[in-house]
Amino acid sequence: MKALQIVSYGEIKDSLVFNELSKPAVQSNDVLIEVKAAAINPIDKSIILGNLKGLLPIPLPSTSAYDVSGIVLEKGDGVSNFEIGDLVYSRVPQEQMGTLAEYVAVDSAAVSKKPGNISFDEAASIPLAGLTAYQSLEAAGIKKDDRVLIHAGSGGVGSLAIQYAKARGAFVYTTTSTTNLAWVKALGADRVIDYKTEDYMSIAKDVDIVLDTLGQNYSLESFEVVKQGGIVISVVGPLDEASAKMLGMSDYKLPEALAKASRDRKADYKFILMHPNGAHLNEIKSLIEDEKIKPIIDRVYPFSESIEAFTHLATGRAKGKIVVKVS
Amino acid sequence: MLIDPSNSHCQFIIGDSEPFFIRLYSLTVLLKSPHQELEDLIKKIKTRLILSPEAEEFLYSISKEKTLRKGEVLIRQGQVVKNTFFVSTGCLRSYCTDKNGKENTLLFAIKDWWISDYIAIHTDELATLTVECLTESKVIEFNAKELDGIHSLFPEFESYQRHNLERHVVSLHRRIMNQLQLSAAERYDLFLKQYPEIEQNTRNFHIASYLGITQQSLSRIRAEKVRK
Repeated sequence: MKALQIVSYGEIKDSLVFNELSKPAVQSNDVLIEVKAAAINPIDKSIILGNLKGLLPIPLPSTSAYDVSGIVLEKGDGVSNFEIGDLVYSRVPQEQMGTLAEYVAVDSAAVSKKPGNISFDEAASIPLAGLTAYQSLEAAGIKKDDRVLIHAGSGGVGSLAIQYAKARGAFVYTTTSTTNLAWVKALGADRVIDYKTEDYMSIAKDVDIVLDTLGQNYSLESFEVVKQGGIVISVVGPLDEASAKMLGMSDYKLPEALAKASRDRKADYKFILMHPNGAHLNEIKSLIEDEKIKPIIDRVYPFSESIEAFTHLATGRAKGKIVVKVS
Repeated sequence: MLIDPSNSHCQFIIGDSEPFFIRLYSLTVLLKSPHQELEDLIKKIKTRLILSPEAEEFLYSISKEKTLRKGEVLIRQGQVVKNTFFVSTGCLRSYCTDKNGKENTLLFAIKDWWISDYIAIHTDELATLTVECLTESKVIEFNAKELDGIHSLFPEFESYQRHNLERHVVSLHRRIMNQLQLSAAERYDLFLKQYPEIEQNTRNFHIASYLGITQQSLSRIRAEKVRK
């Protein structure tokens, strides 16, 4: 089968090569998916550049990407919740990374039937960003009438988080740039803050939840807008101690400035390590089928132009997800 | 123009409410059978046709009652189709998935309807439809070829079959004409008359894809109905 592989760490064009591989073997709990579409995410670019070498060591060469939609072609003996021919989507587990290929074997626990009202291309755009949005806001204990600030509403996670928070009945503030105001508003956000012309900290005050999708100074600033007893959830900021422990760093301490801000504000800080989960994808499936969540796609590339898709991702200018139609 | 559910193409093999068999219920079969659902079906058939004890026994021998979970799939697109199903309780849906992966609903089957992939059955092709349970359902499963064989064994079925096929053609033509000449709102009104309680069991996208409209259009039509 044809697969787009990372052969070395470095510049995108130098690191990615199409290789001919054998079909992946199916373990007892796996399904073999005939890939219809794959989506690429910022983490895929970071892996190629070598920025995550320490955190996520991968053998080279490795097939790229985590998001997939397709059709179940084979299944292991232990799989009872899927049948051959099922239309599915997944964010595949780390050790099964490699959705930019004609076939991928995936632990069925990470797989869900795909939503019936959207295409394979749209379905592939959902899993990683959708699970991140879902698991972040659930970890924050989101409930009706919560006031939530979601940074970068036009991003892959932000655009889905806005819709999920609205589906849960929250009041949503979000930040974006002037050019994205209209479509981000259309996602349902109650107050879209143009960070180029407005000071978000003077508008979103004493919110229950901040979803930090930007990191850097935004993680710390979050404690100036979150209310006492609220929570700051980050998907890109510093690790918290529980997440560090899961990654094998037992003596890790939260950076002091952040720990102090959290203590002073009496608000929690939590880092979310998105984990593949078929049941969560199934929840998201229902929300998509009820049109509470809509996929946002920037562009669909043919498989043969996958490297161009990564080059486009690297510009950071995509409005929505970048999808590769594999077959 | 209303599509009468009893005209549904689901019913062209055996109609639940057609003159089918008119004979006293076979006590021997009754005593033999623990199958309440099939007994109910045979009672309905007997209001329409004379049913010999042998024919009745034949129906018992080729059928199986099944209780199905919500979400269970009876027929899967791309696979061989052997069976046809009579719905005793619940709600099922048949749909085809286009090459992009989107589902288009062909029909819903509620109590007393038949459902299968008749294209596959009558052409010996693989299924172009998927049939799934939208609610917990009870169905009677028949092997389609065996059910078809009932005509050679019991010729009285032939005229009934022809009658049902005629009604099926009428029903299909009505559905096509409705699709061609009625507004989405009119089609939705007819749909509600045809399936009065179906909205409790279905998702919006099931109904929108049956009517051939977007989910947004369906929401708009519903909002306008509420305003009226």
